[in-house]
Amino acid sequence: MNKNTSFGGNNSYDLYLQEIEGIDDYFGPTFRAIFDNDEHVEFREKLDKRIKHHDRDIERLCNIYYQGFIDSIRELLEVRSQAKKLNNNVTSLNNQLNTAAQGIIKSGNELIHGRKVQTNISLVIAQLNLWLPVLTTYSKLQKQISEKRYYPALKSLEELEHLHLPHVSNYRFSSQLRESIPMIRESIEQASMSDVKDFLENIRKFSPKIGEVAMKHTREQLAEDPTVVGRKKKRIVPQPSVDSISTFSDDDRSAQELIDFSPIYRSLHISTVLGSRSTFEAYYQAERTKQAKLVLQPPMNMHESEESYRLYIHAVLGFFITEDHVLNTGNGLITRAFLDDMWNTALEKIVSALQTHSAYCTDANLILRIKDLIMLFCMTLRNYGYIIDPLWELLRELKDHYTEVLMQRWVQVFREILSEEDFQPVQIQDQEGFDQILSSYPWDEDLPDNVTFPYSFPFSGMVPRVYQQVKEFIYACLKFSEDLNLSQIEVDEMIRKSINLLLTRTFSGCLSSTFRNPLVGLQETMQIIIDTGHLEASTTYLDQFISNITGEESRAISNSLMPGKTIMFQVAREDAVRQICEKLNQKLDEFLELESYDWLLVEPQGHASSHISDLIAFLKTTFHSFTSLPLEVAQVACKAACEHIAVAMFDLLMSDKNKQISLGALNQISLDLIQCELFAASEPVKGLQEDDLAYFTKLREILDLFTTCDWPTYFHDYGQETSKYKQVKPDDALVLIEKLKEGDKKTMFTVLKKSERDKKKLLETVSKQLKQLSQIPQGK
Amino acid sequence: MAKTYDYLFKLLLIGDSGVGKTCVLFRFSEDAYNTTFISTIGIDFKIRTIELDGKKIKLQIWDTAGQERFRTITTAYYRGAMGIMLVYDITNEKSFENIKNWIRNIEENASADVEKMLLGNKCELEEKRQVSKERGEQLAVEYGIKFIETSAKASIRVEDAFYTLARDIKAKMEKKLEASNPPKGGHQLRSSEPPRRPTNWLSRCTLL
Repeated sequence: MNKNTSFGGNNSYDLYLQEIEGIDDYFGPTFRAIFDNDEHVEFREKLDKRIKHHDRDIERLCNIYYQGFIDSIRELLEVRSQAKKLNNNVTSLNNQLNTAAQGIIKSGNELIHGRKVQTNISLVIAQLNLWLPVLTTYSKLQKQISEKRYYPALKSLEELEHLHLPHVSNYRFSSQLRESIPMIRESIEQASMSDVKDFLENIRKFSPKIGEVAMKHTREQLAEDPTVVGRKKKRIVPQPSVDSISTFSDDDRSAQELIDFSPIYRSLHISTVLGSRSTFEAYYQAERTKQAKLVLQPPMNMHESEESYRLYIHAVLGFFITEDHVLNTGNGLITRAFLDDMWNTALEKIVSALQTHSAYCTDANLILRIKDLIMLFCMTLRNYGYIIDPLWELLRELKDHYTEVLMQRWVQVFREILSEEDFQPVQIQDQEGFDQILSSYPWDEDLPDNVTFPYSFPFSGMVPRVYQQVKEFIYACLKFSEDLNLSQIEVDEMIRKSINLLLTRTFSGCLSSTFRNPLVGLQETMQIIIDTGHLEASTTYLDQFISNITGEESRAISNSLMPGKTIMFQVAREDAVRQICEKLNQKLDEFLELESYDWLLVEPQGHASSHISDLIAFLKTTFHSFTSLPLEVAQVACKAACEHIAVAMFDLLMSDKNKQISLGALNQISLDLIQCELFAASEPVKGLQEDDLAYFTKLREILDLFTTCDWPTYFHDYGQETSKYKQVKPDDALVLIEKLKEGDKKTMFTVLKKSERDKKKLLETVSKQLKQLSQIPQGK
Repeated sequence: MAKTYDYLFKLLLIGDSGVGKTCVLFRFSEDAYNTTFISTIGIDFKIRTIELDGKKIKLQIWDTAGQERFRTITTAYYRGAMGIMLVYDITNEKSFENIKNWIRNIEENASADVEKMLLGNKCELEEKRQVSKERGEQLAVEYGIKFIETSAKASIRVEDAFYTLARDIKAKMEKKLEASNPPKGGHQLRSSEPPRRPTNWLSRCTLL
């Protein structure tokens, strides 16, 4: 209460109140002022009064505003309920909204998801579209590889690498693919190489087949056109009938069609693409060269069977046909030079292999078949343009070998004939046998009008058989020359040469060995001579026969111009004649061995020694019995016999086995000689005059000289043509003189009569003279 | 010159064609056999040396043709023969019957003291036999000659036959020699030597 306001001036209190009322919190100074003035009691009263005033103001105010306050409360309450209501409405509405929005939200989410998927899908599709060619190419590649179509595979690979993969490079898969490309490439190369290897292996297996087919074709061509055998080749094979196509579809394909060369081409392409062509070429050539070596290695026992020859030849042929084909189609895989080179080496080997092996071959039929093989081989090779001259040479050599083998075979044949031969004239019992002989042997002598059986031919069974065999031989020889593309003249010459060889060597050889057989005696030998005579006569028929076959002019006329041709059976015949002389001489030797001369015989027996008379009788009988022996042969034999006896007797006389001899013994020999001379003079064989058998004169002269002691004449006429003793050589006489002297010593050393002494003296003189003569060369 | 033998006997084989004379001879001389039949033409001979009692004996055996057409040739050889083999074929009756004719031939042509022997050949063909052994023996006894059945093919008793004949001839000859002239020491005269003719050949020498 402000005391200022109440006491002294009531105004100071009011101020204080104002100050307090005006100032909210800085009451200090006011209070200090109040207290300083010591008015606080008045002021508290004043203040109380003021408070009472304000309370009243407040009371009045509250009274004024109370009603409004109630109204306001009332209103507020009302608002509260309404707000509650509103709140409920909003909540339910919110709930409703929430439920309604939930589906939408879900759908929206789904939509968003769907959208996302859609975008993804389209993205993927776009990417996949880019990948698609890569994958197709890749799968194509795989397929091509699995189908072994390596070249397209390589192309695909390239496409893949350069065209498709760059588009899809940002994928890991793509880089993997990219990395695998070189590997694939390599594997393709390897695969194609292994294909080539397979091919090489296959071709090794197949080439005999190729060769076989090729040779078959050649044979067919030859068969179709026999006139141009081996001369020219027709490339165009005439259309075979439908039948044969269906039956031999495989065979009608040409040789090279049998084999699928595609691996080679493919590999070649591939290696070209891969840039390794030269390696491949080198590889191929090296492999083929190796194979060639194998092919050219003939089987060990090739000479044993035709089959092995066939296989060998087919293999070689197949090989070279293949090479030829590769050369022509291989796009320069092998060069002509390479093939030629290989062929030349091969040819050498083939020739030497065939040579070696055929040399072992002893079967004529096999040789024939080999010849056919080689020939077809040649033809086929020539078709393919190979040089085959050495093979022709080989064939010629083979021909000689063949003849050689044939000879050996015919040695057997002849041996057989001769071993079965009885060397008796053929006796024919009936017409059939008669005709058979006439059909197998050209018998040109006059036949009796009425053949009576048994009929006897002069020759033995050997003659027609040998004649037949010679013909067989000619046929066999011809077989080889067939298709050999030889001229008629060549064939003719070949046959004649072979025949001559056969007859002069083989047949004669067989005959000679027959002669060595102890069973074949004089008699058989004589029949052989007769037989060979007939065979020789048949030579002209053989000649005609050959000419008919070869179509060459008969050479019979120009015999003299063809030495060797005339021989034919002549050698055999000569041999037989020689044999008969030998056989006869053997017999004579047997007689001569029986001699039992007493070299100191005082007086001769007065008749010939028994062995000489037996011998002469035997000779007479023999020449008498063998009337069928050709005259000239008998003459030759007789001459030989006489000569043999003469030489033997002379040798016996001169032999140094007996050192001494008596005049009596000389006389005995002279007696024996007379027998021989008588025989010689008796025309033992028709047409033989005594002069022809003058073999005994030498012995006769020396015997006469000694028995008549005609020494003066001898020495007087010595060296003159007219000499009675012109054949007595001083040396021979000297030998005999010595023997006589020796002989005299034995008998006369006791009796020294005058006549004996004279005789001795004479012998000494003669001996001296003879020694002088023998010093002077003969023919003075 | 030293002689290679002590005696020379000439033997003769006679008989029908085909009885096997040549084969018998072939068996004896070569010890071989030839199956093919080869008819002998004319005459042939073989020589074989055998030894008897230390003596070398040369047998010159003449093989004659049995065929009739060679008869004139073959009979000429009878004379010189010292032994004759008469051969027949035991499978061929006719050849046996003909032995009588052959003996007559011998009597006509050969020397009287010729040693004879009968051979029945082909005795290996027992199943084809036509002539019994007894008949052969009977005939041999009749003529007083020896008899042997042989087989040239099977080589049966061929040697025996020839040795027997040779032995007989030798015995006969030695007996004759002893009878006529006593042993002359070494030099053996052959029985075939006829008596010498006393011709003085020396006189022919003009100088003596």
